[in-house]
Amino acid sequence: MTPILELKNVSKEFHGVAALRGVDFTLMPGEVHSLLGENGAGKSTLTKIMAGVHEASGGEVLFDGQPRQFGSPAEALSNGIAMVFQETSLVPSLTVAQNIYLGNEKFLNRLRGIYIAAQQFLQSLSFGVDPTMYVSQLGAAQKQMVEIARAVHHKARVIIFDEPTATLTPEEKHHFFALIERLKKDGVSIIFISHALEEALAISDRITILRDGEHVVTDDASNFDRDKIIAAMVGRSLSEELYSREKSRTVRPYGRKVLSVQNLSMGKMVRNTSFSVYGGQITGIFGLIGSGRTETAKIISGVIKRDFFHGGEVRLEGKSVRYRVPRPAVKDGVVYVTEDRKIEGFFETKSIAENIYMNLLSADLNKHAVISHSEMMDLAKQWTSKLNVKAIDANARVIELSGGNQQKVVIARSLVQMPKLIIFDEPTRGVDVGAIAELHHVINELADAGLAVVVISSYLPEILNLADRILVSRQGRIVEEFSVEEATEEKIMYAAVH
Amino acid sequence: MIGAMRDWADRFLGRGSAAVTVPPLDGALKPNTRLDEAPKGIDADEPDDMVVVHGNTYCSAGNRLLQVDENGGATAVFDAPGTITALAASPEGKIAVASEPGGIHLVNGDGSAIAVAGEHDWQCITAMAFVDDATLLICVGSTRHGIGEWQRDLLSSGKSGEIWTLDTGTGKAARIAGGLAYPNGVVIEADGNIVISESWAKHLVRLTPAGKLVGQVMEDLPGYPARISRNARGGYWLSLFAPRSQLIEFVLREPQYRKAMMAEVAPEFWIAPALRSGLSFHEPMQGGALKQMGILKPWAPTRSYGLVIELTPDFEPVRSLHSRAGGKRHGITATVENGNWLWLASKGGNEIVAIELMRQGA
Repeated sequence: MTPILELKNVSKEFHGVAALRGVDFTLMPGEVHSLLGENGAGKSTLTKIMAGVHEASGGEVLFDGQPRQFGSPAEALSNGIAMVFQETSLVPSLTVAQNIYLGNEKFLNRLRGIYIAAQQFLQSLSFGVDPTMYVSQLGAAQKQMVEIARAVHHKARVIIFDEPTATLTPEEKHHFFALIERLKKDGVSIIFISHALEEALAISDRITILRDGEHVVTDDASNFDRDKIIAAMVGRSLSEELYSREKSRTVRPYGRKVLSVQNLSMGKMVRNTSFSVYGGQITGIFGLIGSGRTETAKIISGVIKRDFFHGGEVRLEGKSVRYRVPRPAVKDGVVYVTEDRKIEGFFETKSIAENIYMNLLSADLNKHAVISHSEMMDLAKQWTSKLNVKAIDANARVIELSGGNQQKVVIARSLVQMPKLIIFDEPTRGVDVGAIAELHHVINELADAGLAVVVISSYLPEILNLADRILVSRQGRIVEEFSVEEATEEKIMYAAVH
Repeated sequence: MIGAMRDWADRFLGRGSAAVTVPPLDGALKPNTRLDEAPKGIDADEPDDMVVVHGNTYCSAGNRLLQVDENGGATAVFDAPGTITALAASPEGKIAVASEPGGIHLVNGDGSAIAVAGEHDWQCITAMAFVDDATLLICVGSTRHGIGEWQRDLLSSGKSGEIWTLDTGTGKAARIAGGLAYPNGVVIEADGNIVISESWAKHLVRLTPAGKLVGQVMEDLPGYPARISRNARGGYWLSLFAPRSQLIEFVLREPQYRKAMMAEVAPEFWIAPALRSGLSFHEPMQGGALKQMGILKPWAPTRSYGLVIELTPDFEPVRSLHSRAGGKRHGITATVENGNWLWLASKGGNEIVAIELMRQGA
């Protein structure tokens, strides 16, 4: 059988820095092919060459056996190659239906007809998104669904999914995997990029692993297991280090009560929720998307406000607090590390040093009355080395860093504010396994240093291996608490769903 | 003026002091059923306070002082002239017994009377502790209400509690602190400072030996604290005799309603914390559908509860033992540790309970 897409000895350089070095890749018709590797391994660059976003510096791209070099994503799409990007490429000021039909418009478009057709199409994919809503009003998960729907709607022969499941709930993931099966049966070839290795193992026919821009291995998925994949990705075994519950770890005891949330309410998202957070330990909060975890964390840290009438109470070290903006919360030692780092976590066009120093200034912790360049550079040097941020230097722009290193910068920004309570919302989302181990190490160190640490995560193994106590959120309130000894994935998921 | 405006705004918006919230039972206070799982204890008529003297455990029940053992035996060693309201054990092994009426008696472990400690007309003695063999520290819960009227004292926003020292030799007494919100438990720290539980303020505070307030050691407790005793690990056991609930917190903010309720409704049906509940369908409840298939849900809002907390030497909770809504061992007023055994007085459950600490992971 002729491969539908084949890349031979492909290389790509950005300003003299090699992102890909002589990579070979083949995609067969009706195949699900996972592309795995750490952040910065070259996965996105490789797929962007396939989708016409980048042009290869060397090597050959064959489509249907013919050498092709797509000049733009539109050209690739017209030839049947669609890419679902990690950062959504939707138009926020258009509705869901208009976005789905964008590029496929007829000469005369009846809006009502588009809405009806889009409704039927979304229902056929089991995606619960209202086609009349503006994309700007959608959450991250729903945007991802629309992005997937758009790619499917274009009847592409090759669809490249870049981290499609990162924001989806287990139920939505289930629908997504069923969709992949359906596309596969229809002869569509799929390239699947994900950091969730279990997903890749479950749905792939073949797996290709890249490391540092080079091809490491391609083989049938049945010949891989989690350990083999991780070893190939990072060159060492991290599985034990990351998600092994067998290893003996000491559960930290309860320290002083730092935070007490009492009967907190905010609209329909947070409903009369109560819980406590203790110093010197990690409190894990698990819940499905929409269970009110993020909103609760944002109320605590002053990003959003609780209900005006009878909104409950937040007590920080025994003192009742009500933050209208994050600044007083930061001054009181409460910091929130956002789940959406690209939007809320940093200024992407500013340097690492500027990003870190800005948070020091906002907390009024700078030594000098005026902005000091030397203080900024010293601070950046100290934190990049402490958190092992891999960058050319502290003047590198954050947008140029990999996901894991961006997350480290976001954490550094928070830590310079000398918090007593730090809330991590999905700290390892979109971060490769090597960086996950480092981030977990950092989080553990913070708890060991006596800080009250909250980790909100949708990834059960992460919660189980990181948290000293596990709270489960459902429908806007904390519904269950588990100790590490009694917690299992089944029990936690049951509490989160039922 | 600004304060009054703020109070009015808080009341209107339901925030600040008018938030009517209750701290959650989580972390070390996570609910369990350990109190109800303990084997059957000793039946007693409203057991109240407990002490350990020379390895023996004593408990007050009504006007009798009982010596109890883990095999279920209870022997009355002393009959007081009135209901015993507090006990204390001296370093040398004397037991101070406060009764209402009757004052404070000093007895030996075998029940033989030593003396009556001074002629004072205290009422509502809730807790006592020996500073040294001759000096007794006395908590008077309320100067306005008797020991049996503790609910009325709470609903009247009682803040008339006092701390006294009594020289048991000379009978000379001195008031060292006053204006307290029902002091209901006392323990003396190694450095001589005094820690008392103020039930209606739902906190523990530290006082100097002279009675000057140092600060809070525990605040915003999820229930009304009662007696505090030492454990073998340098920490403490704290008994909470009733839970807080949003309904009761709300009623405590409504003076007119409370006044009318106290005037017109029988005390057992007041919306107030209780040592036992669920005995009559006339009792007030918060929310509906508390029972399903005839069984009271353990998470149902309840007026009574059984809760004991083990604290570190720094008064941080380590673990807790619970009897939840629907349980029987409610209204724990005192807890003492004696060797491998933890003894609890369940005043609401009319039972003295012994729990083997080794089984609890101590």
